[in-house]
Amino acid sequence: MAAPFTRVCRPLWRIITTTTLNKGARNISSSRQQWSAQNVKTAVAASPWALHGAVCLQRLPVVSQDRSPIEEEFMELMHQMELERSLLSDHELRLLEDAARMSRKQEEDYDSDEEDEDYRDKEIVTAQDLEDTWEQKLKQFQPAPRSQGVDKKDMGSSERCLADSLILLVKKDVGSQKLWLLPQIQWQMGETLRQTAERALASLPGADLKATFLGNAPCGFYKYKYPKDIQKEDSVGAKVFFFKAVLSSHKHLPLEKNSFAWVKKDELQDFLKPEYLKQVRRFIMAL
Amino acid sequence: MNTLLNKALLLQNTRALVCAASSVQSQVLTTQMPLGLLLTNRQYRSMPTHGIGKYRHLLPKALPKKKKDRVQAKQIKAATATEFGVFNVCVSGYDMTLVEHYSQYIHNLCNHLDIKADESYALPTKSTEVMVMQEQGTKMYVDAVLKTHERVVQISEMKATLLPILMEVVLKNQPEGVQLCVKQHTEVDFQSRFKTRPELEGLLAKINN
Repeated sequence: MAAPFTRVCRPLWRIITTTTLNKGARNISSSRQQWSAQNVKTAVAASPWALHGAVCLQRLPVVSQDRSPIEEEFMELMHQMELERSLLSDHELRLLEDAARMSRKQEEDYDSDEEDEDYRDKEIVTAQDLEDTWEQKLKQFQPAPRSQGVDKKDMGSSERCLADSLILLVKKDVGSQKLWLLPQIQWQMGETLRQTAERALASLPGADLKATFLGNAPCGFYKYKYPKDIQKEDSVGAKVFFFKAVLSSHKHLPLEKNSFAWVKKDELQDFLKPEYLKQVRRFIMAL
Repeated sequence: MNTLLNKALLLQNTRALVCAASSVQSQVLTTQMPLGLLLTNRQYRSMPTHGIGKYRHLLPKALPKKKKDRVQAKQIKAATATEFGVFNVCVSGYDMTLVEHYSQYIHNLCNHLDIKADESYALPTKSTEVMVMQEQGTKMYVDAVLKTHERVVQISEMKATLLPILMEVVLKNQPEGVQLCVKQHTEVDFQSRFKTRPELEGLLAKINN
């Protein structure tokens, strides 16, 4: 259909002039102008396909992936090579100087006036003392845990599998059966498909999810026909356009397990229908 | 007789002079010589060895040294309906190896996807002193010095349909401890790279006041 596509492409320039995306430690915030709904072209012939906008909401990985054994070995090797090739740092030089000075002091013909002028400050706090204080501080530091202790099978929590990117799935009744699919909603007149996708995300019951949409162009497309008994002359089936979005804030209440799920790419086949899965798989990257 | 002798002597003298000067190839003497006694060593163009010994034409053209021009601000391209204008991808963090490797990764990704990366530069390092208050007393002492490194990759004229793909790949591969910021390039960003000249500004202020 020509009409929705022009609406998708035209407001692009307005986005670009006012957008600033800041992504620091996965805290994403953006400010965009709300563009007003454009004038509806009433001279468009009604097509038998209903339009839907869907959102592919992703939770990005929080920690880096674990290294494979070969990678571990290689990393050790590189560290060792770097250590062997490196020169001594200031701190290490100072340690050696202090050790030499101590050994000189033990000798009988030691004359303290022969030392350098500035050694008196170093005598009070030696480099070894500094190292000890630093080690104490390091012991007090607790790094954040690499996994939040959430069970891997708990699909409702967005804290599972921190090293992978997860996609939100929603259980919806389509026709007579309940299906797992990406959140989608029907397109209304006078809005862009991206607005439809945003509405689809906002209208999810019981979930307060803040997301940043990446761009105005849809990333995927799926077309399906209604079953024969529902098909009428002017409604043959539906076309779904997918938009990509990235989850912004971190702290989320766990969602209802029966209707929401956060899944990895390889777990998708347990949830989605084969035809739908084939189209959706094309635009989901498992990095 | 005397005049003849004089003339002969004169001629002999001049001939001696010419012989002595022939090695110098002085053109002045030849012009002064009377006709019939043209003794020049200038080689004629048909001679096979004409121009032997010339080398100046083989050296590369040495342009006259010009003073460095002031770096001109490039025209910042505006965005169109399907393409972005100029925008900066800033990578910043405390760990220099991570920041540099990440910015190199982004640059290589742009090259691979045929996205034009205009410039790739580094902003000056900022040092932050972490001061800790002493337990007993009000004095603060310096605990640590943290350095923030920043690298910028400037991208121009990128197709808008490619942005979601690029952003997704870049975000999914962001390492821990590194902040990513994507923003539009403005004149202010360009000017902030230059050093300030305090004396010049002081003088300008004095003139204006």
